[in-house]
Amino acid sequence: MTVSSAEGTAVRVQEDLERSDEGNLPAFAEIVREHQAMVFSLAYYFLRDRGLAEELAQEVFLELHRSLASIQSPAHLVFWLRKVASRRCIDQTRRRLFWPKLRLEDVPEPAARTREADPLLTRALARLVASLPEKPRMVVILRFQEDLDPSEIADVLDMPLSTVKSHLQRSLAMLRDKLARTVGEIAI
Amino acid sequence: MSYLEDDLKLALQRAEPSGDFTERVLARLNAPPRKRAWWEELAVLFQPPRVQWVALTVVASVVIPIAGIQYHKEQRLRAQGEMAKQELVFAMRMAGSKLHKVQQKVLGMSQTENRL
Repeated sequence: MTVSSAEGTAVRVQEDLERSDEGNLPAFAEIVREHQAMVFSLAYYFLRDRGLAEELAQEVFLELHRSLASIQSPAHLVFWLRKVASRRCIDQTRRRLFWPKLRLEDVPEPAARTREADPLLTRALARLVASLPEKPRMVVILRFQEDLDPSEIADVLDMPLSTVKSHLQRSLAMLRDKLARTVGEIAI
Repeated sequence: MSYLEDDLKLALQRAEPSGDFTERVLARLNAPPRKRAWWEELAVLFQPPRVQWVALTVVASVVIPIAGIQYHKEQRLRAQGEMAKQELVFAMRMAGSKLHKVQQKVLGMSQTENRL
């Protein structure tokens, strides 16, 4: 995205925010369309359940509609959406501890892909990410899906920077190790 | 950046929700608020982070009365002990003064005998 188109998007989102706050539903629909992939993907890669991820993403946008007055800028909106989605994902997993678990192999892959990748490796990696503990999992998703740096992740998750860094290091080591074994199994 | 990090970026690319996602969000916004059944209201208490507050309240409502009763018992025992101590000191003083009187009498008698 070029600088001018990014600025244009920011101006448009700012206008949508102001109109949404005045009760304009089409403007709010624009905000949802603009950010739905981000919120849905955070939930999807975290929960590995498409239906549950859509439900959770909808809840996030309903909460946004109730909190529109507190959103100050397009950047704040993105920060707010990431923060609320992350918090809700972690809460959802804690609630799911008491529910029967779906087998990850039964979960369909998302339909939209923007770049070609090795489907076996992609599937294996997404499954391995989903097997990480809650907080390291969200750290990895924010780092590699949203391309946030550790200090931004620390802000979103209200976590010390050192904790984010250690979660990242340990998760990458764990993923590297598990992936080596999984790829070995696939190769056999 | 390592191969793994590149692969993670590919594996975690943003995905789109279903086509009618926005319409479903708007439909939920327009829907009249549904009145929750009593069990749903109750279930809300057992969802995080509320469950932590509920657990804290339950623990506090059990621990605080027990601690209060225990404190009251201890105070009563302490008061009883204090009273017993004072009674003992009083009895010792009484016994001491009686002994003193007896000693005086014995001394008086032995002096009389000596003079005789």
